Amino acid sequence: MNPAQPAILRSYAPAVIVQQHEVVLRTKQLVKRFGSITAVDGLDVEVGRGEVVGLLGPNGAGKSTTIGMVLGLITPTAGTAEVLGRDIRVRREDALAGVGAMLEVTSFYPYLSGRDNLAAVALLRGAGALARVDPLLARLGLAQRGESKFRTYSLGMRQRLGIASTLLADPALVILDEPANGLDPAGQREILELIRELAGENRGVLLASHLLHEVEQVCDRVLVIKKGKLIASGTIAEVTRGGGNYFEIVVDDRPRAAEILRGLGITEIRETPTGLDVVADPKRGAEINRALASAALYASAIVPRASSLEDVFMELTEPEASTAPPPS
Amino acid sequence: MLLIIVLAAVGIYLLIYLSVQAQLQAVRTGAIPSPPGGEQAMSQTLRELRPDRVQGFGVQIVSGLGSLMLIVFAASHIGTEFGWGTFRTLLAHGAGRGAFLGAKVLSLALYAAVFVFLGVVAAMLGSYIVTAISGEAASGPDVGAIADAGRRLYYTLLPYMALATLIAVWSRSAGAGIAAGLVLYFTEGLVAQLLVSFNRDYANIVNYGLSRNAGALIRGAAGTTTIQDPSAVGLPDQGQAALILGAYTVVFLALAYWRLRSRDVTVGG
Repeated sequence: MNPAQPAILRSYAPAVIVQQHEVVLRTKQLVKRFGSITAVDGLDVEVGRGEVVGLLGPNGAGKSTTIGMVLGLITPTAGTAEVLGRDIRVRREDALAGVGAMLEVTSFYPYLSGRDNLAAVALLRGAGALARVDPLLARLGLAQRGESKFRTYSLGMRQRLGIASTLLADPALVILDEPANGLDPAGQREILELIRELAGENRGVLLASHLLHEVEQVCDRVLVIKKGKLIASGTIAEVTRGGGNYFEIVVDDRPRAAEILRGLGITEIRETPTGLDVVADPKRGAEINRALASAALYASAIVPRASSLEDVFMELTEPEASTAPPPS
Repeated sequence: MLLIIVLAAVGIYLLIYLSVQAQLQAVRTGAIPSPPGGEQAMSQTLRELRPDRVQGFGVQIVSGLGSLMLIVFAASHIGTEFGWGTFRTLLAHGAGRGAFLGAKVLSLALYAAVFVFLGVVAAMLGSYIVTAISGEAASGPDVGAIADAGRRLYYTLLPYMALATLIAVWSRSAGAGIAAGLVLYFTEGLVAQLLVSFNRDYANIVNYGLSRNAGALIRGAAGTTTIQDPSAVGLPDQGQAALILGAYTVVFLALAYWRLRSRDVTVGG
């Protein structure tokens, strides 16, 4: 455990992944360095059939680089990536035959229609893929605009076409990098439902997204990475459990208040602009209030909070410079 | 682009014919003074425009246009895949990098074949139009000689296409591929011509470049132009030219393949 890490973060150590499904994606100690910059640092990822795994992290955390390595677009500096049991560096074409991937920037030929673009991708996907073009256009709500040129598509339509292209191969593993970008709330909801459907069809889904509320709804497990390192993993409940219950205390004299709370045996205290965030049993609210008041520290508010994935994500990934020093 | 070569080839024939014919008339009527041997040279130029000389003059026109246009086309054909991000999309859907480059090179080679065929046909069309305008009788084209010249022309275009492919792969940009390809094309040809005009011994050096070998191969076709061309001095022999152009093609494509395989494909390409 890194002692320099804020105390409130320490309970988010990566959990051991219990293999419950046939694994369709497995990376082992995946590393990628670009010159002196380490984009991905010893990353272990597993995705099983029928589960949706969220890959979370701030911009530049290494999500797209990880996906690039999984797809053989980027050569790892070290480590391995196996897709459907095949090493991507050795049997890339075989491995990707069972993978549908949508990259963060959806790119197709601008002068071709949506249908023709899917047909072009289907030609790479072998027998049967061409027959899926029209059903997929319909499934993604693009049947009416299938003949329109790709360059005339809105961002949301481009995203839908990108998602449709991932399913041409009838894949065992679907990789989606920010699939809800540009979609309106109704479109986002549809995509989330589709993702759950994909898992229901016994496909593994690796979902990289910034939309944490949505991730929380669809993912069975999440992996949080920062600066290329896995800093938390597990089910949503597991990841949010460590910071699940805390008090948001609004108080003026923060150092003194912190000292008093440490006297109550509370160790996980974090300074905020308005006061303190304190990890403690929700039943201890009255005790905290009494202790502060007896020291003539009158809190404006003592609010029990339950961490959402977004709270945890923000805690985990905020820049070190803005975090408070650990309690001494 | 294919229509452009047809229009350009016919247009150049007409332009040269009308220009030379006008000068010839002016010399004959005494409107302008005739330089020594000028009338004979102009008559010789007009003879080069006839259908039986297409394998020489016509093929050289197509060669000049073709090198330029194929550099532009090849760089666009490959560079746009990076610009649009479709190279990344194709790879993510299981396409191999070698297969991608192979398909691109094959389609470029087929395109060049169509380009040469249409270009030569356009040159023949231009020669017939010019002959019809002049009202002179002319013998028909030597199909065998034209086929031989077309085959040589096709071969000389391949290294330029390979060069444009290499630059487009390296720069991941159609614009950069076109610009760098054209700069190299003009610079190399100009430098070679200047050096040889300064000192013929420099031919030993510049004969390892593209332009001199391409020129040697095209001029080596049976029954090519009889117009005096000072830049043709000291050209390499046919065998060497074919070997060097082939080597350039292979090296450019091998480098493009190596670059494509070894590169990490991030956003765009």
